[in-house]
Amino acid sequence: MENKKALVFGSVLLSGILTFSLYGIGSSIASDDSKHEHDREYEYRDKGTNYSTKSVGTNKLYMEECGSCHMAYPAQLLPTQSWQKVMLGLEDHFGENAELDAESHNSIESYLVQSAARRKGESRKLLRNLGNKTPLRITELPYFIYEHDEIPCRFITGNDKVSSLSQCSACHQNAEKGRFDEDDVVIPGIGRWDD
Amino acid sequence: MKKISVILIVTAACLSGLPAQASPEVDKLLQKYQQQGAAVAVPEQGKNLWYSKNGDRGCINCHGSTPADTGRHVRTNKAIKPMAASVNPERYQDSKKVEKWFLRNCKWTLGRLCTAQEKANTLDWLNSL
Ligand code: HEC
Ligand code: HEC
Ligand code: HEC
Repeated sequence: MENKKALVFGSVLLSGILTFSLYGIGSSIASDDSKHEHDREYEYRDKGTNYSTKSVGTNKLYMEECGSCHMAYPAQLLPTQSWQKVMLGLEDHFGENAELDAESHNSIESYLVQSAARRKGESRKLLRNLGNKTPLRITELPYFIYEHDEIPCRFITGNDKVSSLSQCSACHQNAEKGRFDEDDVVIPGIGRWDD
Repeated sequence: MKKISVILIVTAACLSGLPAQASPEVDKLLQKYQQQGAAVAVPEQGKNLWYSKNGDRGCINCHGSTPADTGRHVRTNKAIKPMAASVNPERYQDSKKVEKWFLRNCKWTLGRLCTAQEKANTLDWLNSL
């Protein structure tokens, strides 16, 4: 009996501490954001998210097969249906042939589906304003477009070291690790992003 | 002078087509291509294929003009490690990988599959660099 009480008390205390510290993190993240203050419609306040929690680096097959022509995009950057659609069209993958044998195909697809963006949790902001759409590209997500619409074209398509917004790692120094903080952005030939 | 003659000898050895390194995986592939009807590989023809163009397209679009240097994917700009086996010993160590990329890259570049002979020639040439 005594033991049980202690256990209950302990868990209440622990969850209290957890809630409090999470709240602390949340508010400190929100407060250092001034840019998006007026964008009530979009509440993209939580920053510095690490998209590689189900870490990109641990799935060797994915890294190798989907990281040979471009960086291996962290699975958390697209929702499940999008990954399924990408995997369905590998023979004509944005004009390239990225076909896989059945075994690798299944293994990679289940990895992507397991680690995809969710409506809940830290990846949820990626899915805001997406509705029922199933984009094939991260660069078509409303959240992505919103975050990048201030960058002048001459920094992107007019910059042969970048060439398109799909080349995350050209600008985001820690993209391969799944980190996309705006503080880590260096645009090649232009310099650190400062706004 | 001494230095120059050493360089000359080394260059001559390379040009004479001595295999730069023994690679069981490459040997296995070359044997397979022969079973598929290819004659003995002619590295010089592999080099020709490498530098030839089909309209705008060629192997060097992505692999760069020097196999010993890093290339860049023409669509995505991603760096592609050197193709010369002596510079990048990780090359041609997995026959499944080699076949996968011959399939994709021949289709992309030539609009068709490469023949067993073309694959043998190119592989032998790249592996000798
Ligand atoms: C043969 C080369 C190649 C391979 C292999 C490859 N891709 Fe791609 N991928 C491309 C190209 C080219 C693009 C378009 C890039 C652009 O528009 O700048 C692309 C774009 C993408 C995009 C959209 C990026 C954006 O704009 O948001 C996703 C997602 C993607 N690839 C996922 C994958 C996955 C998953 C795999 C592994 C199953 C894979 N790719 C393998 C060549 C490749
Ligand atoms: C041309 C350089 C460039 C490329 C390429 C690029 N980004 Fe960005 N990204 C930026 C800049 C600059 C910002 C900051 C925007 C701002 O503050 O207005 C940013 C912001 C972001 C943010 C928000 C970060 C934060 O701290 O809130 C995310 C997430 C992001 N990018 C993901 C990506 C992904 C994923 C890709 C590839 C599909 C990509 N980016 C490609 C330049 C780039
Ligand atoms: C559109 C871009 C592109 C073109 C054009 C291209 N390749 Fe590649 N190739 C790649 C990429 C990407 C890889 C895989 C990345 C790596 O291995 O570093 C690769 C890998 C290879 C490999 C496998 C190497 C290994 O380590 O096993 C061979 C062989 C190869 N290419 C031959 C060719 C030949 C021959 C041509 C011309 C007929 C050609 N490639 C044209 C992009 C290209």
